[in-house]
Amino acid sequence: MTNARTRVNIEFAATGVILLIVALLPLAVSNDYWLGVLIVSMYFAMCASAWNVLAGYAGQFSLAPAAFAMIGAYTTGLLAYHSGAPPWIGILAAVVVSSLIGLVLGRIVLRLSGPYLALTTLAFAEIMRAVISNSINITRGDLGLEVPGILQSRLGWYFLFLAVLTLVQAGFYFLLRARAGLYLQAIRDDEIGAASRGVEVVFWKTIAFALSSGVCGLAGALYGHFAHFVSPELGLISQTGLVIIMVVIGGMGTLAGPLIGAFLVYASSEMLRDVGGWQLVVFALLVILFARFFSEGLWGFVRRLGLPRNHRALVAGSGAERKG
Amino acid sequence: MTTLIIDLAVTGLITGLFYALMAVGLSLIFGILRIVNFAHGEFYMVGAYAYTLISLVLGVPVWLALPSAFLVGAILGWATERTLMRPLYAGYTSWGLMRDEYAVIVTFGLSLLLINLVDKIIGPYAMRGPSLVSFSRMHIGPVFMSGDRLVAALIALAIIVAVSLFIRYSFWGKQIRAVAQNRLGASLAGIDTARASSLVFALAGALAALSGALLSPVINATPDVGIFPAIKSYVIVVLGGMGSIPGSIVASLMLGVLESFGAVYLSYQYRDTFGLVLLILFLLFRPQGLFGEKGREV
Repeated sequence: MTNARTRVNIEFAATGVILLIVALLPLAVSNDYWLGVLIVSMYFAMCASAWNVLAGYAGQFSLAPAAFAMIGAYTTGLLAYHSGAPPWIGILAAVVVSSLIGLVLGRIVLRLSGPYLALTTLAFAEIMRAVISNSINITRGDLGLEVPGILQSRLGWYFLFLAVLTLVQAGFYFLLRARAGLYLQAIRDDEIGAASRGVEVVFWKTIAFALSSGVCGLAGALYGHFAHFVSPELGLISQTGLVIIMVVIGGMGTLAGPLIGAFLVYASSEMLRDVGGWQLVVFALLVILFARFFSEGLWGFVRRLGLPRNHRALVAGSGAERKG
Repeated sequence: MTTLIIDLAVTGLITGLFYALMAVGLSLIFGILRIVNFAHGEFYMVGAYAYTLISLVLGVPVWLALPSAFLVGAILGWATERTLMRPLYAGYTSWGLMRDEYAVIVTFGLSLLLINLVDKIIGPYAMRGPSLVSFSRMHIGPVFMSGDRLVAALIALAIIVAVSLFIRYSFWGKQIRAVAQNRLGASLAGIDTARASSLVFALAGALAALSGALLSPVINATPDVGIFPAIKSYVIVVLGGMGSIPGSIVASLMLGVLESFGAVYLSYQYRDTFGLVLLILFLLFRPQGLFGEKGREV
């Protein structure tokens, strides 16, 4: 208990440091293009943290985070397009709608795990995308919808995203520091064991789904307003792939990992775009190598460097007793 | 009216044959390792590219390019198993990432890797493979069909029959079935389970690649061409009962026919979603698939 709590505290401190660096970055980065890149990185950071709570902490390996971002973006987009609702109402509605759909999906897939869960969520994501891109009368299909903006200045957007990201991270920190965090990890490590010790598995799994989907929806809605445009491409399976890449490289099941991964992967892929665009090849290769050899991700490296030498072996060996 | 129905049925069955080529491999992999190979569509894509490039760039005749694509797929599948799947047998991976997660991440990563690698090396432009036969259109009774499609369907049918017989009666096929039923038991009986898994991956890669190669004259191969066929084969493998080969063949043909009728009588726009809805319903209410094989059998 103490150990897990200390760990979350350290990770939250690291998260704070990262967010502080991001908050200070506009001093060094002033052009709109790079501010835009960082804003999109923050969008991905929200999706990645949300997916990480579901997959990394609760062990529910969903393949639908991008679909929920798309659902959120379309909720506010459709409200604005058809009824001219103001963005704030739209974003609120996006969170509610995507959490509710996540809740329903969570209830539906309750009994599934492993490959079955991955397949069902993948099918759900593809159905959602097909429905949106084919309901041309309502959504204009692949043409996408124009969405009103909220703020004029890039810098304003930057700090809006940063504020929301900070709130999301703080929310996850308080959730994971509380007993809920231990419940989720217990479900991940041994569902039957957790149930036998009195963890309400059904309740917590559903909550994890709803929460993760709600945050993805929020991220998607914000992104839609920022880009002035939503399209079914937000929900492409490759977008989910990008989120998974970020979390695995940063460190799955840690609070700081997804942030590190999101900024690193998105910003560096923008930088590498000028040198031939091999970034996705490199990252896909890195994901395989990380999963194969360093499944704790970059944050795992950082954490082990901070430990005394005789503790390192303990951390390295700790995986062996987990469910195989 | 009857002409239309026959036409739709034949088109559907032929589409189903190509689905079956992919689904059989996926089903074999699931049967033996209990994982879903999310890179299966990329084996298909590599097959289409291998066939097209070998015949167009090297000038090899198509009848040699086809087996070459089969071989390329086999090598790719084999290499995947050797490099990425071995930790699964040990029951744990490097530092405790869980087994199912490891399998999803690694195969998903491989899929992204292959798509982007092909995109960078060969380019994102659509490529059309050379025709298998010189005659372009023909009609048998009331059914019109392109010659390529017909020949490809006949080859696919022959290969599916051959693979089914191989799995059912050959020595290696029996080994594969034994490992699928009970990995530990098979290894106690002296079967090299790791080699059986390699064989399954090589076979699955080869079949998916062959499917891509056969269809390359009618599809325009792009690096992400494998995504849709892969999703179709996930649906099929679930419908047919995960791990069952006869089940997945029947389910392939059914899905092909269902889609071809559904596109005309239900909704053309949503034709790709029928299967996905079926997939979710089946996983929820009948996870053992259509044929109710609760035990493990390949």
